[in-house]
This record gives sequence, structure tokens and C-alpha cells, in this order.
Amino acid sequence: TNFTSSMHFQSGVNQARDFNDPAGLQDKTEVLLREWINLYHAPTAGPGSATAFTHFVKQMNLHGFLKTDELITRFFRNCVSFCRDVCIRSLSEQQQAQQSANGSQIPSTTIAAVNISQYRNKCFQHVDPFVRLVALLIKHSGEANNPSTKINLLNKVLGLVCGIIFHDIESSNTEFYQLPYHRILIMLFLELNAPEPVLETINVSVLMAFTQTLHLLRPSKCAGFAYAWLEIVSHRVFIGRMLAITPQPKGWAMYSMLLNDLFKFLAPYLRNAQLAKPLTKLYKGTLRVLLVLLHDFPEFLCEYHYDFCDAIPPNCIQMRNLILSAFPRNMRLPDPFTPNLKVDMLPEIAVSPKMHCDVFSYITPVELRSNLDSYLKNRTPVTFLTELRGYLQASPNSSLGTNQPGDDGMRYNIQSLNALVVYVGMQAITQIQSKGQTPSMSTIAHSAHMDIFQNLAVDMDTEGRYLFLNAIANQLRFPNSHTHYFSCTLLYLFAEANTEAIQEQITRVLLERLIVNRPHPWGLLITFIELIKNSTYKFWSHEFVKCAPEIEKLFESVARSCMVNKLG
Amino acid sequence: GVAPLGLTPLTADQELQYKRLQAASMHMPHPADSERLRIHFPRQPVTTPPHFPQVPPPLSDTVDFFQRLSTETLFFIFYYLEGTKAQYLAAKALKKQSWRFHTKYMMWFQRHEEPKAITDEYEQGTYIFFDYDNWGQRKKENFTFEYRYLEDRDLN
Repeated sequence: TNFTSSMHFQSGVNQARDFNDPAGLQDKTEVLLREWINLYHAPTAGPGSATAFTHFVKQMNLHGFLKTDELITRFFRNCVSFCRDVCIRSLSEQQQAQQSANGSQIPSTTIAAVNISQYRNKCFQHVDPFVRLVALLIKHSGEANNPSTKINLLNKVLGLVCGIIFHDIESSNTEFYQLPYHRILIMLFLELNAPEPVLETINVSVLMAFTQTLHLLRPSKCAGFAYAWLEIVSHRVFIGRMLAITPQPKGWAMYSMLLNDLFKFLAPYLRNAQLAKPLTKLYKGTLRVLLVLLHDFPEFLCEYHYDFCDAIPPNCIQMRNLILSAFPRNMRLPDPFTPNLKVDMLPEIAVSPKMHCDVFSYITPVELRSNLDSYLKNRTPVTFLTELRGYLQASPNSSLGTNQPGDDGMRYNIQSLNALVVYVGMQAITQIQSKGQTPSMSTIAHSAHMDIFQNLAVDMDTEGRYLFLNAIANQLRFPNSHTHYFSCTLLYLFAEANTEAIQEQITRVLLERLIVNRPHPWGLLITFIELIKNSTYKFWSHEFVKCAPEIEKLFESVARSCMVNKLG
Repeated sequence: GVAPLGLTPLTADQELQYKRLQAASMHMPHPADSERLRIHFPRQPVTTPPHFPQVPPPLSDTVDFFQRLSTETLFFIFYYLEGTKAQYLAAKALKKQSWRFHTKYMMWFQRHEEPKAITDEYEQGTYIFFDYDNWGQRKKENFTFEYRYLEDRDLN
């Protein structure tokens, strides 16, 4: 069914550009649609427009519109275009009215507010009946026990809407109006998610069709639709359906893809800290969505944190902290500031966190994958360690594969580095546990796994090491085996560092995640407190702690807040 | 710095997408765009002074809160906020106060006294009803309330 639905979707996209309608069809469509709009608004429409629909289907049949798939597709295409034209006309009338109001005596904000609702309502009065008609046709198409006809029709309509949007964007460049499409998509979604048995049976397919549509319209393809897109993705009914009602993991996987689309669009601008107003608006909206998810669906953020951290640029500290601070709701986290907290006594640290993705497959190139496995097994050859950096580094002139490091303008393949760090860590945990031990400062040392980490810390340049340490810090979350292992690893790397530069960078990565506003991940706090409290690290004797008066003050204030219990 | 990995020049496509986003930011979606059409009270956002309440009181979307509103307020919500949760809560509160909805006249009735007659099909007596045309409560003597017009769905 997946194949047939995307086939219907694609044919919708294609047919959106087929303007060779039979003569008179456009006019006939408009006459019919107008009639339907009148029926819809009439007091005799009946509950859910049922009476009006019965009457209207007869009309459609009379004009032969329901005879062939092709005619009904053309009918829908003309309807969408009609709705779009009405909306654009109404919105430009509104703009004109606003402009003339700006010259008058009445406070312009009042006029603007009245106007907006008046002109918007006109749009809604045209779009809503069309959406209801689509929903009714979907509900009544095909036999009761064969839902595929309904789903095919839905995919066709959504494909048409996508195709028309693409055509609009191409032909109008920046003059693109989100309103008609936003309204069509969200209202159709709400109609098809009403609590009715016939809709419940096809719900997962409906969600898949909408996910596919939104993925095609993702901001990196249709930035002109980005705000409406985020409004739909963050709509309470949409979030509720995708994350609460649909059985896992289907809804979660679909929703994570859409969130990733958003992060990937924002990434290049955020990485450059290029936040002009239009981007700030979208960024703030993203933070809000993340806050909602952190509050209502923390397990979702826990499970998909890896993909999200892969897509979010390293300098987006707060955005990433929101994701890393999520922890399962049934878990009680011990206060990181508790004096003499014995992290290794917590039962949770033996449990590995849920992860839906296979990080091993993210390691590229494939050759690195096999060499890595063989090194982890045999701890030879030593040349693997010296070659490692080259694998992870960008090679701008290379033309080996499709997904080359450096494609995104970075000097390292961050995805591959992240995957390698997590994979090696997971392998290390398995090995330690297979010996009946738990990760600790002594059990993690002197292994093929630690060879790799120590080598990366020593061998890479500042940029590579920064990315490497970030990959580790991304695992410092709620109490689980990864958090514990990587916390020990980071502290071990600090203790065993052969230069102060490594220690300075470890401190930097931890500190920069703590000086931002809350929330702060639990594992991050635990690791940092251990670093500054445990005298074996001689933290306070390092030069970089006192490199500048403001840095010194910063450390003092962090230490005060971290060590309040000890001092008090 | 804020861009620790240095600036990476945007690609031509990223520049173009930014321009489109910028254009879209001139026509931001409106809260009403993803809501059911509100004929009587469309949303009209304006900036109000910060000392003015910006959000309604907490728990104002509960039946308990609606129970504390005057009947006139409840009638207003019922007739002017059609198809909303508020309308549902208002109807619920009215029912709790022994008002009954007449589906033919589309008006709310309350017994003024014990009915003079009660059969399986109707009851008859003096009723108070809310006349939405003239916006006020009226009294009707010798009125027959046919039960087939009684809205008796269980509001849960």
C-alpha cells in the first residue's frame, strides 16, 4: 500500500501542472464549487453538511465529474486554484485597505485588526467548504471494508496541493502566499482526524499521507511556506495524533523526520550565527515546540536525541540542551548537588538508553567501519589509529562517494565522527559488562576503545577535538549506561591529557553548556561537578582557569553554585 | 565566539531560501488560520497595555468556572461561540442549573413551577425561557414542552 499511495501522490503532483482541461471545464468547476459553497453555508446543510453533500453529489454526477478519476482530479485542481485566487485577491484588498487606513484619523491598529479578520474570514468561507467537500468525498469513496480507495484519493489531493505549491513558488519567486495552502492542509487534517470510526480505521495512513506532504514541503525546499509549515507541525492536534495516540514507533518516527527537516533548514544559518528577524521568528518557534515536547513527550526526545543532535550545529547550545535534558517521566534524578553522591551506585546506570537508529551505519566510509571493528577486536594494527583522523577529515577534492565529508562546508564529517564516538562507547560498555564489571575510571582504561578516544584527543586539531568532545558531551544525559560511561571517559581524558590544551577544551565544552540558561542535562552537571570537586584532577591549578579576569570570575560563580552544599 | 567553527558561506540555494523566508515573514500566519471560522468573534489581536490581563485566569476552562458565570453570560457564550469548547461548557453549566434546550425553538427553558401536567410525551406549565432575539428572559404560561424536542444528550 505504501507504493500505491506514493504513486497516487506523485500522479497528483504531476497533474497539478496539466492545464489542458477540456473546454469549459474551468468555468463549470467554478459554477459547481460556488454552488457547493452556498449549500455549505446554508442553514439546511445538515450536520456535517450531510444533506448538502447528498444533493451536491447528484449535481456532480449530472455533470459527469464523478465518472472518471481524471475528471475529478481536474476538478480538484481547479478548486485549489480557485481557492488560492480568492485568497490572494482578498489579501491584497486587505493590504490596500490597510494602506489607506494608515492615512486616516482612526488608530490604524484597530482598523488593521478589523480588516484582517474581515478579509481572512472571506478566505476561510471559500476554503473551508472545499476542504469539507474533499473530506466527505474521501469518507464516502470506495467500499466500507476497503480503505485503499479513500487513501488513494487523499494522496491524490495532497499531491495536487503540493504540485500547485511548487508551481506557485517557481512562477512567482518570492510573491508566495502561505494562507490558502496552510488553511487547506490544516483544516483537511482536522476534518480527517475527527473522532469517527470510519476515520479511525484509516488514521495511520492519513498521518502517513500528511507526513509525506509536509516532508516534501519542508522549509529547505519551500522556505516561503516555512511559518505555516511549523504551525501545522506544532498544531496541538497534529502533535497529539503523532506522538500520543498513534501506536509507537510509527508516529514517533514520522514526527522525528519532520523535526529533523526543521533543524536541517535552520542549521546553516544558525551555524553562522546569522539570525536576522525572519530566522529569529522561526528559531523562537522551534524552541517553543521543543519546550512543549520536553514537557509533554520527554521520552520522544530521549529516544531520538541522537538524530536531532546530528542535525543541530555545535554552537546551538540551548537548543541541544533542551533535547539532552529530557528524561523518562518515571525516573527520579538524584540532585547533582547532593554531597557525596555515588553515581555508580544508581541502578539506572546499568541500563542502556533506548535508541532507534543504528549508529554503526552512519559511520562512513564503509572501509572505516570494517577497519574499526577489526581494531576493536584485535587492538591492531596501530596504523589504524594514525589513519583515523584522515577518515574523519574533509577531503574537498575527493570524489569517492556521494556523501563526502566537507559537503556542508565543514572540515570534518561530523555525522561520521558522532557515530564513531557513540559506537565505540557502546562496544566498550558491552565488553566491560561481559566481564561482569561496570564502567569506572579503572575499567574503561587500557582498551582498544580508549586507545581510539585518547588518540582522537591527542591527534586532532582544535576544531576536530572540539567536535569530538561535543560528540561525547552529547551523551551526558539522564542516568543510564551511556551517560555513565562517557562521563568517566571525559574525566579520564582530562586526567590523562598530555597537554593543557586538551584539558582547556574539555572544560570549555562542559562550561559553555552550563553558562546558558536552564535546562542543563543531569549527566553534564554530574561530570562538571566531579571535575571541579575531585582533587585528583587539580582543576584549580590549571592556567586556563585564570587566563582572564572575567573567566576567573565565571569559574568562581560556577563553583559557588555547584559547591554550595560543600561550602554551606 | 558565537560561531566557534568559523563562518561558512551560504550556498546560492540557501541564500534564495532565505529570501523566500524573508518574504514570507511579511505575511505571517494568523492565529485564526488554523481555527474554525468564527463569524461573530473573529480574532483581532491588538497590543494591549502590559498592566492589562494578558491571559485569562487559570482553570477558566472548567465546568466549575462556568457554573460561577451569570446565566446571561452562559447564553451569550452559547449563541455567539458556536462549535467551541466554551459553548459545550456553557451548555453543561446551564443544564446543571436545570435549564433545558428546546431543539425546535432553539431556546433554553426552565420550569417556573411544577408542571401542571406531565405525560410520556410532554409536560405543560409555566416556564422561563431565554429569548435570544430580544436578548432577555421571558415567562410563558401554559406552555407545552414536547419531549421529542428536548435535547437530552449526555454531555460528558
